[in-house]
Amino acid sequence: MSDIVVSSRVRLARNYEDLPFRGKISAQQCEECISRTLSALRELPEAYTYLPMQGMESNEKKVLMESHLISPDLLREEEGAAVLVRTDEKIAVMMNEEDHLRIQAFAPGDRLPEAAQNAFSLDDTLQKQLSFAFDSQLGYLTACPTNTGTGMRASMMLHLPMLTLFKQMGKVGQLAAKVGLTLRGIYGEGSEAQGNLYQLSNQVTLGRTEEELTQAVTATARQMAEMERVFRERAWEKDPVAFEDQLFRSFGLLTNARRMNVKEFMAHWSNLRLGAAMEKLPVHTEACDALLTAAQPAHVLKAMGSALKASEADTYRCDIIRRAIRGGN
Amino acid sequence: MLCEECGQRQAEVVMTTVINGESTTRHLCRECLKKYKAGDLQAVLAAVLSAMAEKKQTPDITCPRCGETYAEFQKTGLLGCAECYTAFRRELTPLITRVQGRAQHAGRRPPVSEEEQARQTQMEALRAQMEAAVAEENFEEAARLRDALRALSAAKEMKA
Repeated sequence: MSDIVVSSRVRLARNYEDLPFRGKISAQQCEECISRTLSALRELPEAYTYLPMQGMESNEKKVLMESHLISPDLLREEEGAAVLVRTDEKIAVMMNEEDHLRIQAFAPGDRLPEAAQNAFSLDDTLQKQLSFAFDSQLGYLTACPTNTGTGMRASMMLHLPMLTLFKQMGKVGQLAAKVGLTLRGIYGEGSEAQGNLYQLSNQVTLGRTEEELTQAVTATARQMAEMERVFRERAWEKDPVAFEDQLFRSFGLLTNARRMNVKEFMAHWSNLRLGAAMEKLPVHTEACDALLTAAQPAHVLKAMGSALKASEADTYRCDIIRRAIRGGN
Repeated sequence: MLCEECGQRQAEVVMTTVINGESTTRHLCRECLKKYKAGDLQAVLAAVLSAMAEKKQTPDITCPRCGETYAEFQKTGLLGCAECYTAFRRELTPLITRVQGRAQHAGRRPPVSEEEQARQTQMEALRAQMEAAVAEENFEEAARLRDALRALSAAKEMKA
């Protein structure tokens, strides 16, 4: 189902029993939180990279955020905040964000159980050696009481261009709310969802098991994907030439433009992803998804290196896009 | 009737949530419904807390471990440490139930220690013996076993 579900993600919030939460923690206790976590992870065969926020270059932090390895909240933190990233980037552990630990696991496409399993196995490793704050009634205790219980947020990133175009998102959002889930735009601010990308996730964390939550998110995501497919088919059948025209115009711009800002890129990227998913354009969805991250502002700046001026970023973005789509040239 | 979310405004909408076949009905005002639709439980919590603060419903409690006051919690929506959950339990439980819809955790738990595992096995054995004693109408023995069970379960609660 990678035609519509771009990626799956699971986050677990955990806190050490004996350390104060973020609002009351001292610098020394932040260090303690980090050193405990680091030493517990030494047990694992997989390698993790330890990245403290303090002293990290601001663009480097933004790169991590664009890759969804850290949250905007962690980006703003300095002292004591850090992230551990597994070398394959499928797991990241934020430390001293709102909670002591935020374990995050990622999987491409519609693979929420796989992401959940990875998060659980890391949670198990940590719990074998360390004690997390837990209450038999309220579950895992978190800084904000809205996260107690499982401490889990299961989410899926969905690409819904046709539901957006045909103004169905209000209805789709209600469908999510009805089953206790929430749907919001990922890129862009306010009600605008750049790239027609949405994140579907659970809001309630207490009183449902992790499996119930992942199942609810998966089932609803699949329902939304089915709706999106219906609208894709309908739009195609109504006027195939107009449909292809849109796709190929975006393809043409992406492969020929010489200066493009991120907002314009996102609009055309959506058509590129749609064309790839419907097998109308000569590009794979995997390449589209990799490009989505690679063409974000901080990634472009990083790829440019210091030899180029920041004002050339929109031009360099076009190089990145062409390379991703055509594999060179 | 008042909105079940903020407890301040008139409820005008009935919202039904179905999760894995189980439905919950809530009476909400339009403001709280909007927050619900946006799916932001933190915003819902913040609204409830600020409504309480406005009505001067601020219990005078301080967490003995981290020093967080209930007034601070009302302002930030964040607790200071795990102990705050015990210190503010009476106030927090209805609040959490309101926001989360449920009050009992289901799902993963920390691994049980060997000591705890032994206790649980022992309790199961005692329970079986007690049932057998009752079946044999040996009530004296059953009462003795019941007391032993109670003592074991109290020891567990003290630890927790």
